Amino acid sequence: MVDIATIAFYFGVIAYSVAATLFFLELARKDGAAPRAQWAPRLLALGGALHAIHVVTASLLSHVCPIDSLHFALSFSALIAVGAYLALRARLRLSALGAFIAPIALTFLVGAQFVGQGGEASVGVSRTLLMFHIAANVLGIGLFLIAGAAGSVYLLQERRLRTKKRVAAMGSRLPPLDALDTTTHRLLLAGFPLLTFGVVTGAVFSHQLVNPGGAEALRSLLGYATWVLLATVLVLRKTAGFRGRKAAYGTIVGVLCMLLVLLLYVVRANAGAT
Amino acid sequence: MIVVVGLSHRTAPIAVREKLVLDSAGLPDFLRALVQRPEVGEALLVSTCNRVELVAAGRSGFDSDLGQVAKACLEALDVHSPGIASHLYAHVGGTAVRHLFRVAASLDSMVLGEPQILGQVKEAYEVARKAGTVGSVLHRTLPRAIRAAKRVRTETAIGSGQVSVPSVAVDLTRDIFGDLSGHTALLVGSGEMAEAVARLLKAGGASVVVVGRTLSRAEDLANAVGGSARPWTALQQSLVEADVVVTSTSAPHYVVEYDMVNTARKARRGKNQFFIDLAVPRDVDPRIETLDGEFLYNIDDLSKVVSDTLSTRTREAASAEAIVGREAEGYDRWADAEQATPTIVQLRTRLTSSLEEELSRSLRGRLKHLPSEDRAALSKMVESAVNRLLHQPTIRLRQAALERASDSLSLEQLSAAIGELFAFDAEAEAVSVTENALPDADGDADDSGLSLAPKARVVASRS
Repeated sequence: MVDIATIAFYFGVIAYSVAATLFFLELARKDGAAPRAQWAPRLLALGGALHAIHVVTASLLSHVCPIDSLHFALSFSALIAVGAYLALRARLRLSALGAFIAPIALTFLVGAQFVGQGGEASVGVSRTLLMFHIAANVLGIGLFLIAGAAGSVYLLQERRLRTKKRVAAMGSRLPPLDALDTTTHRLLLAGFPLLTFGVVTGAVFSHQLVNPGGAEALRSLLGYATWVLLATVLVLRKTAGFRGRKAAYGTIVGVLCMLLVLLLYVVRANAGAT
Repeated sequence: MIVVVGLSHRTAPIAVREKLVLDSAGLPDFLRALVQRPEVGEALLVSTCNRVELVAAGRSGFDSDLGQVAKACLEALDVHSPGIASHLYAHVGGTAVRHLFRVAASLDSMVLGEPQILGQVKEAYEVARKAGTVGSVLHRTLPRAIRAAKRVRTETAIGSGQVSVPSVAVDLTRDIFGDLSGHTALLVGSGEMAEAVARLLKAGGASVVVVGRTLSRAEDLANAVGGSARPWTALQQSLVEADVVVTSTSAPHYVVEYDMVNTARKARRGKNQFFIDLAVPRDVDPRIETLDGEFLYNIDDLSKVVSDTLSTRTREAASAEAIVGREAEGYDRWADAEQATPTIVQLRTRLTSSLEEELSRSLRGRLKHLPSEDRAALSKMVESAVNRLLHQPTIRLRQAALERASDSLSLEQLSAAIGELFAFDAEAEAVSVTENALPDADGDADDSGLSLAPKARVVASRS
């Protein structure tokens, strides 16, 4: 079992790395030919499968539920992002997003190794509620990661069309603006209830903690900021036609806030805090 | 080896090309009539707007007199369409193979890298196959030409992008909106290019609205492109509904002004809008580009994309030529080796028949008591013995066909010696290589060659 987890991890890292390289090379090509990175999504899918095997076998070995540990939760959210990307890719011509998703998945898979693997249950906090809190956050992070990637590619495509540079050279390798905008919006819509649940339960936990400390307060603050930013993007889109470039910027900033929250979790876990 | 005889946009103006029309219904009969000629064994015809070319091989496969085959093809085309002889060319042998490979790879097309030609070559092959005019040579040559063309398309960017302004405009529209169905295109004014863009948008699934200063003209244009017409006064409202706006009026001032777009933009609630301004002087105020979600390409912008694409294709042509060159060299080597085949076949036949005759005699005499299993084993042994005996001679003959080195015996010498030793007699002549019968390496046809069409160009190479 140990061998399977280790082999799946290393081969997963290799598959993600090669996929990320191929996606990047596809974007960097200057010959203007039609998209031809057929191997990159396949390798990403293979990486995702190995990633899943690693998460399952490693969590069985550690006797830890994947969503009850920050280590596996981080890894799991990237896996969800990979799965959602692969599901959306062909239907919405979103192949180029792989250039963002593959490195993110690689970072999360490798980065999770440096985070403590034990259960993260905090003193005075309902374990069941904590599991729902982490599950919602894991799913939400996965969806927001793709939303952030879609927003980033939107800005690239928009810049290309607006500056009229590399129009012929890029060909049709980047997804259509409307598809990117719609994807970003739908993922935000899908992830927002999960984020709301995560923020609310996080606030409850924060209130229940015996000694929350400054980092905990900052984490809560950033969590609220993420919620407010993404809520603003959604509300303004509905009321004031806030879409396209502005929505992409709003989404990216929101996702960055979310990543900061995650970073604080990682710092706390590595510092041995409860 | 093969010959390619015909004319193309490089040698004949459209007035001549249109004379050489072979309708699809009559094509099989034309090809069958051609292969009835004593010189021609196989034939197919590649016919496009820009070229009509006969690809043919002789009756003796790779050993045919290609000069005679080319002459027969020239004659057939001249009889079909008198007066075109001076525009015809004939490629023979290796040059014909390279030409065919280049044609299939769209390196000889009017628009470099255009994708249709490969399909047209495949279709020509299929028509000839159904007509029964394709034999062993073309069955082996055409798949190689198609493979070379596919390699060129997948390994180079020769087919990248679009090379016409309307196609580029529609590609950019797809970069913004993706699938065009459910989107509305507004055509303001008229003009050939604008109409072409509108047709492409319509074909992509967009609904087209035409607005013109003269309603009747707008209606005519709308009917032509499959859209609906509106009066000029509906322009502002149409701007609100349109995702793509194509303008091509002769107005000396901006027809679509900044304020109009800004107002429409608010009503569109931030949805993207693409302006394609094909007019000179321009119809659309360039300041609209500063507005969020508004994209504007004028005729210069679109022409630059076309020019960049053509530059890319031209740059890629060198790589494509290299691929075609390698594929043609591979074909040459294979065809050279094939020249040893008749001698090898004769040798095998002679050895097998002699040994089987002896075996049969023994099985009827001293060995008649042998059970059927042993008889089968003996037959197998004879077959194995022939294979072992011929292994080295086969390799040597194929090497001789490929190498043509001056310090070793040539295929012709070896074939003649084998023929003499084994008394192939009449067959010996058939297996000799027909190089002497072909036009020489300088490209001059021999005397018997192409007197029918004195002005026809003949390009030949080593077969």
